[in-house]
Amino acid sequence: MGNIIESYHLSKTYNPDTVPVHAVNEVDLVVEEGEFTALVGPSGSGKTTLLNLIGGLDYPTGGQVKIDSVDITKMNESKLIDFRLENIGFVFQAYNLIPVLTASENVEFVMLLQKAPKKEREKRAVELLTEVGLKDKLNKRPSELSGGQQQRVAVARALASKPRFILADEPTANLDSVSTENLLEIMAKLNKEDKMTFIFSTHDQRVIDKARRVVTLVDGKIVSDTKK
Amino acid sequence: MLFKIAWRNIWRNRTRSLVVIAAVAVGLFAGMFMMAFFQGAINQEVESMVETQLSHIQFHNPAFIDDKEVNDTIANAKVIVNRLKQNRDVKAVSGRLITTGMVSSSSTASGVEIHGVVPEDERSVSNISQDVIAGSYFTGLKKNEIVIGEKLAGKLGVKLHNKIVLTFQSKTGDLTAGSFRIAGIFRSRNSSFDQMTVFTRFDDLAAILGTTGEMHEIAVVLKDGQKTNSVARGLKKEYPSLLVQTWTELSPQMALLSGIMDQMMYIIIGIILLALMFGIINTMLMAVLERQREFGVLMAIGMNKARVFMMIVLESVMLTCAGIPAGILFTSLTVGSLAKHGIDLSSFSQALSQYGFSNIIYPVLKQSMFVPVSVMTALTAVLSAVYPAIKALRFKPAEAIHKI
Repeated sequence: MGNIIESYHLSKTYNPDTVPVHAVNEVDLVVEEGEFTALVGPSGSGKTTLLNLIGGLDYPTGGQVKIDSVDITKMNESKLIDFRLENIGFVFQAYNLIPVLTASENVEFVMLLQKAPKKEREKRAVELLTEVGLKDKLNKRPSELSGGQQQRVAVARALASKPRFILADEPTANLDSVSTENLLEIMAKLNKEDKMTFIFSTHDQRVIDKARRVVTLVDGKIVSDTKK
Repeated sequence: MLFKIAWRNIWRNRTRSLVVIAAVAVGLFAGMFMMAFFQGAINQEVESMVETQLSHIQFHNPAFIDDKEVNDTIANAKVIVNRLKQNRDVKAVSGRLITTGMVSSSSTASGVEIHGVVPEDERSVSNISQDVIAGSYFTGLKKNEIVIGEKLAGKLGVKLHNKIVLTFQSKTGDLTAGSFRIAGIFRSRNSSFDQMTVFTRFDDLAAILGTTGEMHEIAVVLKDGQKTNSVARGLKKEYPSLLVQTWTELSPQMALLSGIMDQMMYIIIGIILLALMFGIINTMLMAVLERQREFGVLMAIGMNKARVFMMIVLESVMLTCAGIPAGILFTSLTVGSLAKHGIDLSSFSQALSQYGFSNIIYPVLKQSMFVPVSVMTALTAVLSAVYPAIKALRFKPAEAIHKI
């Protein structure tokens, strides 16, 4: 398995000229293809900031992020958007589905951005939603779905673009225990069967227990990195 | 799918969207109705001027126009009148004697323009005969009959069948006068015209002026008024020594007014749309700021800036353009009804008649204005979307995603 994500001396400092806050501080992290990695740490430890930097949602104030050996910190905003579309899937804490689209349309939307043909989009959307157990909810809008169901649609959406890896920011934070269990099973299955690489931030012990690698952050620095 | 998202987004806040749609519809209605009203008023004014005073084409001795001298008559006028009557484009012809003078009653006097007309011919050229409100448009029974305006009658303090005296310069240059009995009193749409113009029989005026079959003016009404310019061009070539003028040349101010109506319409609609633009910008800005997190997510998952921009423009265009059919329909129904029954402005009749406008205005809605007005509105929508869209493009995905 090759390295999929590499960060070297990665730093993000807010208010550098007034009261500097080192959200991420000189982080070196290498993630191999097929990993199921949890970023853990107390609130304010820099988990979300690190995910944003790895996902190209934000620019670091120092260091590098390489995805498949491509330095994304040197890309302009437009190139980064295209890069994210083709390489990274996102799952957010608050689901963040497009409220005016149905579950199926939400999944299709990413493929539409990739200019995939309509038939292919529809077929894959049905496949993915079936895979996450929502075959009977294809035409439901987010407001008609439970939190767990919405998060499963979000996972299907993240997979739709056939990304190199998925970043999930506290994906179970708003879910009950049944939904959490359900989602974790789906993510673990995708990781095991499809070799999909997952990196997620979490506080949830059940999620941490499922992870095969646990990276602990404190004050923006990696303080432990354990592989199971 | 962008269309689908944009359309559904509009209805996320139904009340707000309906307010904007209603504002666009009412704005367009206001602009188009105003223009239909003015267009109708101007059309009626032009029609009135042509039918009462100008006719479509007039012939004069070129020298007559400047000073209206009695001797500046049209040579061979009767021959010309007869030839014009044979012209297949001509509906009616009337030869006139015109001079200026004083009209006096027992109490006062007033300056007037005296028209000597052949009533039988004049009836086909001018509708003054239909505007007679007392007496008749010449009985033909007696000599020296005169038809005067209601306003002049009031000023002179005279009534039907009273005698008045016309004083003017004869062909020989002497001051001459004639006593005329009022056969009819008319009231046209133009009170100034009513006060300044009197009509006598052609032969009666010719006898006092000392002219024999000469004419100062030949008025021509065409079968098709739209052909005025082309027919006038032919007549100008045929009678190069005479001054042949169309009604637009005789009354350039009226032609100008009629001609600038379209431009006026676009300016007024433009001003209304400019005002509406601020409302649309406000609505779109609210919609964009409310959905900051959504835009952050869209950009995070790979929606490029061009598509984000396009989506906001589409929302603005759909929102605005939804008001266009409503505005056009409302205007068509309202103007359609008022075009039949007219808008009664009798309470302003005195002011209106001074400018020659009718008491009842029949608005005229040009169908041809719908397309340019729709395009202008759509353009307004696009322009209104620019600022909110730029605002959305400035969102940082990492920050926007976490906005509540």
